[in-house]
Parts: sequence; C-alpha cells; structure tokens
Amino acid sequence: MIYRRAGISFTRYQDERRLWKLPTDRWAVIVIFALLLVAPFLVDRLFVVGYLLPLIIWSMAAMGLNLLMGGAGQIHLGYGAVIGIGAYASVHAMRAGLPFELAMIVGGLASAAIGVVFGAAALRVKGLYLAMATLAMQYIVDFVIVQVPAISGGTQAALSVPRTSFLGIAIQGDRAPYYVALALCAVLTLFMLNVRRTSFGRALAAVREKDYAASIIGVDPFRYKLLAFWVSSFIGGMTGAVLAVCYYRTISPDQFHLDLSIQLVAMVIVGGLGSVLGGFLGVGLILFAPIVLNQLIGLAADQFGVAIPTDLRAHLPLMLYGGLIMGFLLLEPLGLAKIYSNIRNYLLVWPFRHARQ
Amino acid sequence: MSIQGKITGWPVTDGGAPATLVAALAANAAQPGSRPGFRERDFGIWREWSWPQVLDEVLSIAAGLETLGLGPGRALTVVGDNRAAIYFTMLAANALRAFPSPVYPDVPVDEFKTFVRFGEPDIALAEDQEQVDKLLDLRGRIGRPSTIIYDDPRGLAGYVEPGLIALSEVADRGRARLAAEPGLAADLVARARPDDPAVLLYSSGTTGTPKGIPLLHSNIVGGIANAEAGGYFQRGETLFAYLPTAWVGDFVFTLGAGVLLQATINIPERAETALHDLREVAPTFYLAAPRAWDAMLTRIQVGMADSTPLKRRLYDWFIPRAIELERKRLKGYRPSAVERLREAVGSFVMYGPLKDYLGLSRAERAFTGGEAMGEDTFLFFRALGIKLKQFYGQTETCALSAAQVEGSVRIDTVGRAMPGVEVRIEDSGEILIRSASVFHGYADNPEATAEALTPDGFLRTGDAGHIQDSGDLVVLGRVSELVETAQGQRFIPTFIENRLKFSPYIRNVAILGAGLEELTAIVCIDYEAAGHWAEQRSISYSSYAELSQKPEMLELVAGEIARMNELQPDGLKIRRFVNLHKDFDADDGEITRTRKLRRKVIEQTYAALVAALYDGSDEVIFDAKITYEDGREGTLRRNLVIRRV
Repeated sequence: MIYRRAGISFTRYQDERRLWKLPTDRWAVIVIFALLLVAPFLVDRLFVVGYLLPLIIWSMAAMGLNLLMGGAGQIHLGYGAVIGIGAYASVHAMRAGLPFELAMIVGGLASAAIGVVFGAAALRVKGLYLAMATLAMQYIVDFVIVQVPAISGGTQAALSVPRTSFLGIAIQGDRAPYYVALALCAVLTLFMLNVRRTSFGRALAAVREKDYAASIIGVDPFRYKLLAFWVSSFIGGMTGAVLAVCYYRTISPDQFHLDLSIQLVAMVIVGGLGSVLGGFLGVGLILFAPIVLNQLIGLAADQFGVAIPTDLRAHLPLMLYGGLIMGFLLLEPLGLAKIYSNIRNYLLVWPFRHARQ
Repeated sequence: MSIQGKITGWPVTDGGAPATLVAALAANAAQPGSRPGFRERDFGIWREWSWPQVLDEVLSIAAGLETLGLGPGRALTVVGDNRAAIYFTMLAANALRAFPSPVYPDVPVDEFKTFVRFGEPDIALAEDQEQVDKLLDLRGRIGRPSTIIYDDPRGLAGYVEPGLIALSEVADRGRARLAAEPGLAADLVARARPDDPAVLLYSSGTTGTPKGIPLLHSNIVGGIANAEAGGYFQRGETLFAYLPTAWVGDFVFTLGAGVLLQATINIPERAETALHDLREVAPTFYLAAPRAWDAMLTRIQVGMADSTPLKRRLYDWFIPRAIELERKRLKGYRPSAVERLREAVGSFVMYGPLKDYLGLSRAERAFTGGEAMGEDTFLFFRALGIKLKQFYGQTETCALSAAQVEGSVRIDTVGRAMPGVEVRIEDSGEILIRSASVFHGYADNPEATAEALTPDGFLRTGDAGHIQDSGDLVVLGRVSELVETAQGQRFIPTFIENRLKFSPYIRNVAILGAGLEELTAIVCIDYEAAGHWAEQRSISYSSYAELSQKPEMLELVAGEIARMNELQPDGLKIRRFVNLHKDFDADDGEITRTRKLRRKVIEQTYAALVAALYDGSDEVIFDAKITYEDGREGTLRRNLVIRRV
C-alpha cells in the first residue's frame, strides 16, 4: 500500500545493487535518522540520556555480536568480556594521554587480539562446545580484570574516564556524547549493511551454512572464522570504548559480567540473527520492555485500584517480559526483523497475496 | 563526433514546425533536453540514447543503407519486435526518401509474400535469426529480398548466404561515409519531402487480401498536430513502445508522436517482459487495445481471487463503490463530500496500489480503440483514476480521427472529431472523414482508392454510425457486417461477441445466425482465467481441450451467456453453444493478427460443428485438422458437447 514501485528503472547495474531501492525505504531511513538527529532538541534530556543513548550503544554491540552469530554462525557467550577489554584498554590508553580517536582503536585492537585467541578455539570445537569455550573467556577475563589492580584501578575497583573529545568536540554534557555515539553507530550500521554484500560477507555466510561445504567451494573456514572473531571483537572493543566514554564515564568490572553477555545474545536472537535492523529491534525490546511493562502495571494498579502484593508487583513485569520474548520467538523464530520483513512483504505485494508478474 | 554542427536546416511546414519525421529528429537533436530520446531495456538495465545520439545513429544507418542500394520510392521490409535499432532503421529509410514496410513478426512464411508486394522491397531488416530464416525461405520462393540485414547476430555466425549483413556493419559503413563526405549529414536530413511516404502499412485483411496503405509524412505530421491541438498528446511524454511494429498505432502513436513531440520512447526487453517493463517505465501516455485492458482486468481479478482475506475484503468494498460512483459521474453526477473522502481513502488503499502494480500510476493519457470496449472494463479503469478514453480512427487516417474529451466520456461513443478533422455521415449511415491525416490512396490499387476516397477528399470508413447532439460520434459497427436472421432481425455479430468476451472466462467467441433461425455460439474459453477457476474448485484437467468440455466449465459458460441474453431482444438470444477444443489462432487463419474474427474461415473450418449446432444434437464428433510446426498435417478426433442455454 505504501510501497510504490512503478517508474523505478536503472541504467547501470551498480544502481540496481543499491541498498534501498524503493523510495519508501529511503524515506523511512531519512526520516528516522533525521528524528534521531533532532531528538535532543525535542524530547527531555532524561529520555535522551536514559533511553536513546543506551539504545544506540547497545545496538552497536548487538551488531558486532550479530556479525559473529548471524553472519558466521559462531556462538559467543563472552561478548560482555570483549566489550570490557575494549573499555579498559581504551580508558587506560586515554589515561596515558592518547586522544579518544586513537584510544578507541587501541580498545578495538586489544579486544580483537584477545578475542581471536579464544576464537581460535572455534576452529577445534563447534556448537555447545564453542559456547563453553567462550563462557570460559568470560570468566577468565572477569577474573583477570578483578585480580589485577593495574587494570581494574586499584582497591576501589572503579576507573574514571578522563575528559576527552572526539574530532574536536568535547564529550561532555548530554548532547555531545549522544551525537558522538550516533555518528559512530551510523558508520557501523553502514558497514554492517554493506559487509553482507562483500566477498567477506558471503564467505562468512558460506561458513555459517556448512563449514566443510564452504571449504569445498574454496572458502577457507580457518581463515574466515578467525576473521569473523577478529572483526566482531574489534567492533565489541570499540563499542566498549564508546560505552565507557559516552555513557558510563566510570567503569568497574561488574559492568561487564556474564549477565551482559547473556543479554546481548538475547538481543541478537530476539532481534533476528543476521539482520542489521534486528540488532536495533532486539535491543529496543530487551531494554525497554521491562520498563514499559513496569509502567503499565503501575498505571493499571493506580487506575483500577487493584491491590497487587508488593512482591508480585516487582516480579510481574519480569514474568510478562519473559512471556513476551517467548511469544515473539514462538510467533517468528527468526526474530523481530523477520516479523518486520513479513509485514513489509505483506504491504509490498499489496493488494495481492504474492508478488505477481 | 559533431554531426549536429553540420546540420543547419530541415524541411518545415508553413507554421515553421518540422515537416518530416527526419526533420523532427534533427530539430530534437538541435535542442536536446535532459531527457533521453530512446530507452531500451537490455539485460535488465535501460540503455539510453539522447536525441543527438539517435540522429547520429539514424544518419549512419541511412548512409550505410544507401550503399546497399536503398533509394527513393523503394520499400524496406522490416520484420521484428520493438527494438531501438528497428525504429532507427525505419527513420533511416525515411531519410533516403524510401519507406519502411513493417510486417508482423508472427506472419508465417507462406503468407509473407502478401506483404512484399509494393515498393519493390529488395532489402529487408530482420530482428533475429528466426526472421532471417523466414526471409531466406522467402528469397528461395520469390527471389527477394537480395539483401537481408539483421540486428541480433545470435545464431547467425555460421550463415554463409550471400547478401546477409549485420546492422552494425551497415552503420559502420555509413559512419565512414559521413566522416569522409562533409555535406552528407545535412543532405540526408533535408532529402525527405512532406509528400514522401513515411511508412507502408497493410489493412488487416478481414475481408480479402490486405491492401497496402502508404502514409505520407504530411499525414503523420498533420495528424499528430491535430491530436496535440486537441490535448490528446503533449510534448515530452514518456511512451512505451510495445505495440506490434506493423500496426498503425505503433508507427504513429509511438514513433511518430515520439519523434514529433520529443517524447522518451521506452522499449521493453522482449514481448514477454513487457508487463514487467511497463511498471519500470510508468509511461505518461498509454494506448492498448480493449482486449489488452481486459487482460489487465483479468490479471487483477485472478490475483485478488486468491489474495489474503483483509486485502480481498477491502477490494470488494472499495472497487464496486468506485465503479458505481464513476458510472454516475459519467452521467454528470457530482460526488458528495463523503464520496470524495471515500475516493481519497480508496486511492491510497486500493486504486493507487493497483495502478502502481500495472505501471499506470503516471498515465495521464490512456486510450483504447480499434473495437468496442466492455463497460465493466472501461468503468473499472476509470474508477481506479486512470482517465481512460476511447478513440476512433483507422489505418487510412493514421488512426487519428476522433477521441473522447474529459467531461464527455461515454461508453457508447468514441468522442469528438479532433481539431482539423471533418466528419460527415452519409445517408447510408456511413461515416466519412477528411483531415490532413487521411491517406492519399492505396498502393497500386486505383479501384480500391476510388472506392475509399470521395472526389472531395473524404475517406469512406465503411463504419456505420451517427453524431450525437453533443458532437460525440457513435460507431455501431461495419456497414458490411450488418446481418439478419431468418426472421429478418438485424444484428452485428461482433457487437454480441464483444459483450460476451467481457466475461473473464471467455477469450474468443463466434456468433452464428446470419440467415438462420436462431443464434448460436462457438466459445473459446480463456485458459488462464478458466484454468484458475477450475483449480480453485479442484477440477482436474490436463489440457485446454479437456478443460473446455468439463461439465462445470460448460455450466459456467452457459451462465455467462444467460446473463448476456438478458440484454438481448427475444429473437437475438443465443440458444445453443459449443466450447471449442482450442482457442482461435491467427496461424490457423481463424483470426487476423489484430485478433479480429475471420468468419468465413471459421464457418468453413467448423462446418460440421455449425451443422450440429442447428440440428438439435447433443454432441458432435469433430475431426480437427492440425498443421504441425514442421508443416505436416494431421487430424485429431474430438468429441464436443453442445449445450442449450
């Protein structure tokens, strides 16, 4: 209904391969990006700092993890640790005097270097065993950060981030961190959208579907699994740096524990494996569903005067939240992105059932 | 390469406009806009030619053709589907004062010699190997054409026949000449005269041998000027070149109007991809025969029949209301605020998406003509917001005689005479037309010319009709088609047939009954729509023949006929019919290439069937003669059921 496709023609094959071929999609992207740009001037600062900023940063993390899980088919239960390594490495680098731009890359490289060591296990083990190997990474990294005062920052085990700037913009106040994160997220999103269309992305897909079949067609699974771990960990490390600088401002080991890793895996799976949009949708659901449900139940309790016992009041949102995630995955195992694409297809062939000639 | 720099003038009319197609091309090239002149889909992407590039190409081909011996007054046989190279070559022939003679690409070789009778066509342009084979076969029979030019070289590498040459080779020779002879380009542009033939077309040959109809540059230039003055064409249209090249509609409405009014002419990749490519083009001007519009409606109906419940319900809610509103609006009704709101919502929810699906969302000027159109189809497309109008014309008038104007659109009229067109009704009821677009006589056929043209320059159209008080012309049918039953009731079979063919399940039908007691029908079901209908009801079938004889299918057709019968006077109701085991086919001579019935052929071929329809039997055993593609003949015995309505 809202998709109009008449009059779209191409004079070059390059144009035919563009990302958003339909004007409707292009407009949707432009409008959403424009809204994100003006959001700090339109809505309350609490909303920007409390909701939009985490949405953007966790989406970056989800995209990084999704490259590994959805792109190359390798599970990772230690992505929180990867982010932690990036955060600590970059903060230490900044404290040593490096500018944020370089520190971010140092964080990425540190994560990539350590991540790829554990990822090497993926060359030997698959599936559940890989999950165990990455889980081990999570615990080892947690342990090292806590036990080495030089990393964790001594007895208080909290490391504050020095004031810094990005491309000449001082990262302070509410808006600057938001815009820095948004800019980096936009770059990463474009990278993720395009990586699937490169030979690298296709090689990862081949490895994901069947690694020995990939090696038969000349894609070296050894190389591409390592590369997937490298790239994904690098993105995780950079995200860690952004997280530390733009959001946490003070980092401590408990911010990067196993529950973060599990949450990220949940975001990726609920959002949709292998989908860039799914990263955003998954993060949105996992972050905001508890908050929204909590508010709704509070509102219902106030409005209708239902006396809900305090402990039920505390647990009901979590139960509903769990039910919601299960419901979505039952409805569409391929995640929120697949639900979106189903709706889009429904509208794309409107008013017919199928695409017709 | 600046051919343009060397061209300073071209033949013009009294008003200063280009007087020939070649002159118009030169004028377009002299002031090119940003829009391309031609676009052709090739391997999925659109290749574009700006007007200067088109002129360059046309003059190169013209200079090359001259080396092959094409000269003034000679015909160039052109056979193939719509291709940019074919259009360029047709214009190139014009530049040499020769004229193209396009032939329908599906004409079998046995009939081909009919279409090379005039203008001594010794050179032929073939689109591809298939047509080259046909022309080589023709040369074996009649010694012509001695030179065969081909556009698509696929499959032709191993051919060693003399006189076979690639079009690119012809153009290369021409380019070399243009480079060597500085004055040649300007000379080629100025050669063609307004009274030179621009194209040689053939009448459809419904009765007898097709007659050659030369249309002069002045006919086409004049006709398009009339149409532009009437607002039926605008400058800078986006056109879609998919009509058969041998039909007047393609040469005049696509090439003629395209070049004269500086349109963008879009050419689909192949005939089979035309529907898909139409959506990519989204033309602003669209012309289709009534049955093409019917086919579009059928496509939509078939698609909606198995759509999702919500979408179907919305369709079933909006469309009938929109059609009803359009019906009232054509009678002068002004919609209320509620109806206008409903229309706005409907065009977002349903009409817009349907137009978008068809590729007609930008079609400001949509036309149909050639035969009567079903009211259902007509109202459906107008209800969608496509301002579909009927036009009237024949090959002899460049098909530009009359057309409807917005505000005076009626299903039973064909509109008003275009500016510059005089229409007169003879006492016999025959429609006479005089305008700049009326041809000057049939090729080498003075008797037929004398019959067709009155001394004062009016064309006898052979159509019976009258002019309403509003000035709108009503065409009833062919004067010659009027027949009587044994009881003396007069009717025009085509008229009844067209009404029946408005059913999506009936593709072709022949009404019998001239000089007989009652009316009967030979029905050809629409394989796609009827097949889909059967599939939905779990009726199994393996072929057209089997499906056509299914009791359910006969029941369905009987229902359609009964509904049509309600509109007929008593003596003209169809009493019995038979479902034919095959569709009428132009290759079997049952219909013309423009899909008009050839009654004599049908009555001869199906004489046994006709007899059975009138002797009261319930079944007939019919020996169907078939000609295989390799030319061998055989017979197939078919049992056909005859049903009463």
